[in-house]
Amino acid sequence: MTELLKISHTMHLEWRYGVGASFHEFIAALRARAQILGRRCPGCQRVYLPPRPVCGNCYVELRDWVEVRDTGTVRAFTIVHTPIIDPTTGARRPSPYTMALIQLDGADTTLNHYLEASDPTKLRIGMRVRAVWRAQRMGLLGDISHFTELTDE
Amino acid sequence: MNDDFVTAGVNLQFHYAAGAAASRFLCALRDEQKIFGARCPECRRVLAPARSFCPRCFVETNEWLEVGPGGTLSAFVAPPFAQLLEPALTLALIRLDGADTAFVHRLGEFDAPMLRRGLRVAPVFAASRQGHILDLAYFKPVEFDNAHSI
Amino acid sequence: MRRAAIIGTGQTKHAKAHDDMNQAELVRQAATRALSDAGITFREVDAVVLANMELFEGRALPEMWVGAGAGGYLKPAIKIATGGTSGTSAAIAGYHQCASGLFDIVLVVGWEKHSEGATQTGMAMVDPLWDRNVASGAVGNFALSISQYVAERGVTPAQAAKVAVKARRNAAKNPYAHLQIPDLTVEQVLRSPMLADPVHRLDMCPQSDGACALVYAAQGVAEKLCAQPAWVRAAVTRHDQPYIGDLDRRLVTMRTLRDAARAAYHQVGIVEPRKQIDVAEIYEPVSYAELAWYEALGFCAEGKAGELIDEGVTEMNGELPVNPSGGVLSSNPVGASGVLRVAEAAMQVMGRAGAHQIADARVALATGYGVYAWSDVMILSADT
Repeated sequence: MTELLKISHTMHLEWRYGVGASFHEFIAALRARAQILGRRCPGCQRVYLPPRPVCGNCYVELRDWVEVRDTGTVRAFTIVHTPIIDPTTGARRPSPYTMALIQLDGADTTLNHYLEASDPTKLRIGMRVRAVWRAQRMGLLGDISHFTELTDE
Repeated sequence: MNDDFVTAGVNLQFHYAAGAAASRFLCALRDEQKIFGARCPECRRVLAPARSFCPRCFVETNEWLEVGPGGTLSAFVAPPFAQLLEPALTLALIRLDGADTAFVHRLGEFDAPMLRRGLRVAPVFAASRQGHILDLAYFKPVEFDNAHSI
Repeated sequence: MRRAAIIGTGQTKHAKAHDDMNQAELVRQAATRALSDAGITFREVDAVVLANMELFEGRALPEMWVGAGAGGYLKPAIKIATGGTSGTSAAIAGYHQCASGLFDIVLVVGWEKHSEGATQTGMAMVDPLWDRNVASGAVGNFALSISQYVAERGVTPAQAAKVAVKARRNAAKNPYAHLQIPDLTVEQVLRSPMLADPVHRLDMCPQSDGACALVYAAQGVAEKLCAQPAWVRAAVTRHDQPYIGDLDRRLVTMRTLRDAARAAYHQVGIVEPRKQIDVAEIYEPVSYAELAWYEALGFCAEGKAGELIDEGVTEMNGELPVNPSGGVLSSNPVGASGVLRVAEAAMQVMGRAGAHQIADARVALATGYGVYAWSDVMILSADT
């Protein structure tokens, strides 16, 4: 039996990813005013978050900006226990953590983000949540650290 | 990140399985400092490096035989970017004695003006070998070699 | 368009790692087995289609295995990568090449070697503006959608676990399957580690090394080469918007699969899928997905998928056996997984499925699924 060899290597990849006009506006508003902007489709009237140039359903250009609130409703959630390498840092993300699809007030699509609750047994679809902002905003999605339960409604 | 670009980087680890045939080839480089080819039973070509099947005839090779160690330079190039590497890299296609295909490798111990197609070359093996194609460190020009009389 | 049929299939053993074969050799083993099953040599092949997810192996230009693995020397060939549907996209592309009249005989090969790369990280390297910041891999992504499906349809973890048990029990009859666990129990699935609520490790597919190939032949050629070809009666693809937030309730609505199935059924004249389809081989990366697909494919009414598995309808001896091969839950070399679904459907129709053969299977359904809710549906039949 031949000894079976493996050739190991590490591939380092770097990107410079153009955000495009829609996202440019979004980032600027996020950083300057902690404001979340979506875009409304003139056809189906859906408000898209994150904003994008075209409605995938109607295939028409989106031009109208709509301010979306930083409160919303959980539409789906899961507590992730499996180890994940964070592709933005290359490091293993601490687990468990909770992911959720959150429909922000004023948007028709949901946002994929982290959710933290004081008591994990209280997590449920339909729960009301609010964004927790970082003190220093960089113009990153991570300017919203996570979402947490909304108690004062 | 600024408002126009996101920059990001990631390291990915890969472990490429050489498979039984290439492993046997690499182990021979490491342990015996020998270069093996394999003959296709249909087209009769000796493929070097040795591999499990002939990509033209799509049949398994059935005969392993030692090729080289000497060979003839059939093409070479010193890409500008590769001159920044340490050591500088000159790539070569080498027709090993007894082989019907060109072996892709690097050249060393040469003066640029002496390179020409048809130049006789011989392998120089690395002192420390680990079952890798660079166990054969490079080919160097030779005036005369034992495998072939000019 | 003329008719085209599958006249041969071949696959490697699917396993955690194939260190004995490199990528080209893995591709070649599946290709030669399919050619042998079809009773032809690679010289009779007019064109080759290859499927693979290149980032998973870290080898640039894996399309080179077309020539150095799939027998594509001096032939027209392409490589296709569309995520989870790569294999069914390639199967449908091969069918189009043959049925269009361009080529009489087309070879399709899908392959993956997860053991060599960084699959989870590769999966997480999605859109850097949004998704990558919160990427949680295929499991986390699925679990989000599953939470909605469970909330709306009321399926239980035990019902999902029954799907996982069925898959590994069927796989025990398939010599090529990766996970073969004939005596797996629901309790064992529910006791396996939680990956992302409510998905346990045994609810999820493995990562496999493997390859699978198909040989298509056109009408007029197929009958001469094969006593019982598997005729392609429908091949439909549907894509959706890719952002997960737009795919809200995707397992509940699963509009791409629903729409593809409706179009395919219409082409074939299927009005009662549960009665008119003899066997289905569907792309279920996670146990809960199979239940959701039952509804989208019209095997049961909405909300009745749990009852379908409870009643044994989709077991090997049930009214509509689903995944006699063991499915994706038992073997998942991604670039090959879609080809495997089509190959199993073809083997059933051709009567070549061995110990996992469903008696008198004449109409078989195969599906493909990609992470962004993309769907492919093919229907194969013993009759032209």
